[in-house]
Amino acid sequence: MLVEHPDEAAGLAIASALRFAGYAVAVCPGPPGRGQCPLIGPEGCAPAHDADLVVCSLGYEREAAREVLRELRTRYPHMPLLVEAPSDIDADLRELLDGCHQLPAPATPEQIVAAVQSLSGQAAEEGPSGA
Amino acid sequence: MRSPFHSEPEAFRFVLLLTLALIPVVLAAALGPTWLALAVLAVVLGALALRVAQLRMRKLRGLELPVKMAPPHMGSAAERRVLVVANDTLSEEALLTEVERLASVPRTHVLLLVPALISPGARLTGAVDSLLDQARLRLRTALDRVGHDLVVAGEISEADPLEAIEDTFATFAPDEVIVSTRWERAASGLEPRLAGLVRERFAVPVRHLVFEPGAAAQEPDKDIEARYRHEFGEAAARRFGLKALAGVGILAAVLMSMVALVQSSEREEARAASQAAAEQAALPPVATVVHLSVIPEYKRGPEGEKHDAFTTTEFAVRAGQPQELRIDNTDSVPHSITAPAAGVNIVVMPGTHTYTLLVKQPGTFLWFCTFICDEWAMQHPGYMSGYITVS
Repeated sequence: MLVEHPDEAAGLAIASALRFAGYAVAVCPGPPGRGQCPLIGPEGCAPAHDADLVVCSLGYEREAAREVLRELRTRYPHMPLLVEAPSDIDADLRELLDGCHQLPAPATPEQIVAAVQSLSGQAAEEGPSGA
Repeated sequence: MRSPFHSEPEAFRFVLLLTLALIPVVLAAALGPTWLALAVLAVVLGALALRVAQLRMRKLRGLELPVKMAPPHMGSAAERRVLVVANDTLSEEALLTEVERLASVPRTHVLLLVPALISPGARLTGAVDSLLDQARLRLRTALDRVGHDLVVAGEISEADPLEAIEDTFATFAPDEVIVSTRWERAASGLEPRLAGLVRERFAVPVRHLVFEPGAAAQEPDKDIEARYRHEFGEAAARRFGLKALAGVGILAAVLMSMVALVQSSEREEARAASQAAAEQAALPPVATVVHLSVIPEYKRGPEGEKHDAFTTTEFAVRAGQPQELRIDNTDSVPHSITAPAAGVNIVVMPGTHTYTLLVKQPGTFLWFCTFICDEWAMQHPGYMSGYITVS
């Protein structure tokens, strides 16, 4: 499980809740201020590559999150994506979020765990190719 | 180091890069002298090493994107697992009190991890046992003092502290890590930067507790942690830089020695070839095929009587080069050209046949006929005997 969250403390809280629900987690604060996310670069991102599900937040650095989201959708079109999204997003973002599982921001770690469990249940029902 | 075969595109890029890097080496090897291929190889390896060093330095200075990992929680949701990493501070009463406090919380398991801090030098000199014994003694004393046998366990590790913690994450899956150090690193103590490194790698709460003799536990503030991080990163980068420089020096020395060796061997080969050609040119010419006969009573001896004889009894040949002899033996019995010292024994049958005369070593060798015929002629060169001159 990869948790992409710009707020480190919030990311760790989500990760902790997911761990206690039985998931192995990787937490990434996303691209730093002026840096570039490896996911966008040619080297790619190993935790994203290994993840069965990505939990993403659009709460803060929205432009950076937009890029990460676009890259995730392009590189891993079949990977389930759970996005914590605020209501005031533009049309472009809304289009990017099409097909993603969304939670209204701010979501609590418990809400995120419940959503992940629901998605994992769906994936298990769909079989190995569904995850 | 990250595997270049982690994903298909990465593997493709790696193979492509390898091929592109090998092309100039192969071209230089095919079209130029060996030293040029070695020089190109050195340039390619140097460029590769430079890139690896650049990436490594960037990582050491902490410019990589920090991704924290953690395994799933182990046991029931109510259970809590705390990993305490310490070495010389295990003797501090304040730390033991903290461990005792943690262990007294219901459903809490505590693991005391004691990295033995074995330096590469100690490994080389075999001083590992004393360090392990020290770590064992500290752990045993601490466990005895704390009690709570059922929930407090201990472990000694010979590995690097960070690796030891990584291993413990796989087996113990802690929900919290406490790293216990001094304010500054002591010879037998953990690096204060360790807490920051653990915090950067693992998605669990990490507490850095600093213990000084007789004092209560303290937690460094962000500025101090940042200083630890900076100093550690710079020191590690400096160490790596020095190692890389030494490595480059050794590689350059090895390559230069190889180039010099190849050049000298090429010069030696060329000199030997030209010397052989000159020697060959200086030798007297030899016929491709020598025609001769064996004729009974062919040649008159000094006493006036006719004796059996070969029409040619002096052969000039080149060492190691076969010489064809077309011999017409007009006699009704076989004869021979036999030179034991030269390893020659050609049996010349009646009639006309072609034989090969081959001598490997230079010199002048007496030959004679071993078939009993004209006894006098067999003992006199120029008749049924003669010389083979090998140049």
